[in-house]
Amino acid sequence: MVSIRVESLSLAYRVRQKLTLAARDRRLPAGGRIEGHGRSRHVTALDGVSFSLDAGDRLGLVGANGSGKTTLLKVLYGIYEPTNGTVAIDGRVDALFNINLGFRPEATGRRNIELRGLINGWHPDEIRARMDNIIEFSELGDFIDLPFKSYSQGMAARLAFSIATSFEPEILLMDEWIGAGDPSFQEKARRRMNEMTEKAGIMVLASHNHALLEKTCNKILELQQARLKVFCGTEEWFGKVSPAAAAVQ
Amino acid sequence: MLKVVRSALADIGRGLRMRNVWMALAHEDIGDQHKRTTLGPVWLLINYLAYAGTFVVIFGDNRSVPHFAAYVATGLFVWLYLMEVLTQSVTLFTREESFIKGTTLPLTVYVMRMTMQSVIRAGYALVGCLAILLLVGTSVTVDWIWSGLALCLIVVATPAAILVLAVAGAFFPDLGFIVQNLMRIGMFLTPVFWTGPGHGIRGEFYRWNPFTYFLEIVRLPVINAEVPIAAFGICATIILLLWVLAALLLGGYRKKIVFAL
Repeated sequence: MVSIRVESLSLAYRVRQKLTLAARDRRLPAGGRIEGHGRSRHVTALDGVSFSLDAGDRLGLVGANGSGKTTLLKVLYGIYEPTNGTVAIDGRVDALFNINLGFRPEATGRRNIELRGLINGWHPDEIRARMDNIIEFSELGDFIDLPFKSYSQGMAARLAFSIATSFEPEILLMDEWIGAGDPSFQEKARRRMNEMTEKAGIMVLASHNHALLEKTCNKILELQQARLKVFCGTEEWFGKVSPAAAAVQ
Repeated sequence: MLKVVRSALADIGRGLRMRNVWMALAHEDIGDQHKRTTLGPVWLLINYLAYAGTFVVIFGDNRSVPHFAAYVATGLFVWLYLMEVLTQSVTLFTREESFIKGTTLPLTVYVMRMTMQSVIRAGYALVGCLAILLLVGTSVTVDWIWSGLALCLIVVATPAAILVLAVAGAFFPDLGFIVQNLMRIGMFLTPVFWTGPGHGIRGEFYRWNPFTYFLEIVRLPVINAEVPIAAFGICATIILLLWVLAALLLGGYRKKIVFAL
């Protein structure tokens, strides 16, 4: 059964004073709380976060910039390793963070589909099976056999979107809702996203678009300065039902 | 310690299983570098021939080195490979930053992509090297098998060397310039075009410079039809130590690198 169990999750990392002879870069990574001084200075990006999700859950992650939304998504995906606490995930996790990552300008659209598929961990047979569907959805026609660099921005975005959403994820992580292309494609993309999120056992979406979250999610997790502020039902969070009524539900 | 080694082996195992990814990316890299040129990757061969040819023509009357052309051709071939690998590895993880921060690909994938790329590039230079050897009448003997084995050893050492420098370079960016300078100077401190062991300071450099032995295991079987057992032993030891260090660094730092970039 697809599920996510997060217990007392914390993530802190040292702000490394890089061993360098050049002038020190005093910029800090955005987000989290900065604690300590000198060599012990560290950023607490997540602090004691606990929640659990089961099949059918659609979680909306909200919070101000730097509150830890993207960090939490990256911990769930496995890019960051938690400093403390546990993350138990049952199900294959797919993420839509940066759908433009790794496109090669000199390679054709078709070759870029193959390469992106390999990077996503797809088997060559799976890539072949999805190829026609991706090309058809992207509406690139004969352009698919031309180098990626000859595409307009909209065409590139359509190809990226078509590849990124061609899988059927068990657990889908998204940093903002993605869309692409001109108005007619945007509508098609919206339908594809809805279909995909419906098929996913669990979806976690970080967004500042509250109307979208209200429409898409059944649970909301609000982060504030790396800590969990609220984890509740969408209706309760949007104040449509009182906490007491939500508890009864 | 065991946990660190296990973590490293897990990364290496996953990386090797994803060979489709790094092989495809390495081929694309080579193709991209020469895409708009007429001669394509043949430029890699021309670059080598121009370099080695200039050395042979300018310093060719060096009577103290027998078979000078063959000596320089093999020496330069190995040296240019080592120089490229070592200088490029320091910035490897910085170059792959967006991938490291956006995907869960094991670090071994990036290391093997670079290894594969370097081996392909060296393949073109090898054609030039063999051409020079045959042109100057070097006789092909059964001892050449030892040189082939030596090249395999160097390829085995490559991912370990890349890993060590890439991890170090992620935390110490100045290392890039240090390695670049050392490799430039290293060309003169290594018997690429002079012979050893000799006496005085040159002799010391010959003996204590680890690169010497990597050049000799490839070169001596071809030029002198001799098998440098001691040099093979030294190289095997260095490679073993490199892999131990690489495994410790990979296991200990693979999840920390994403925060250092």
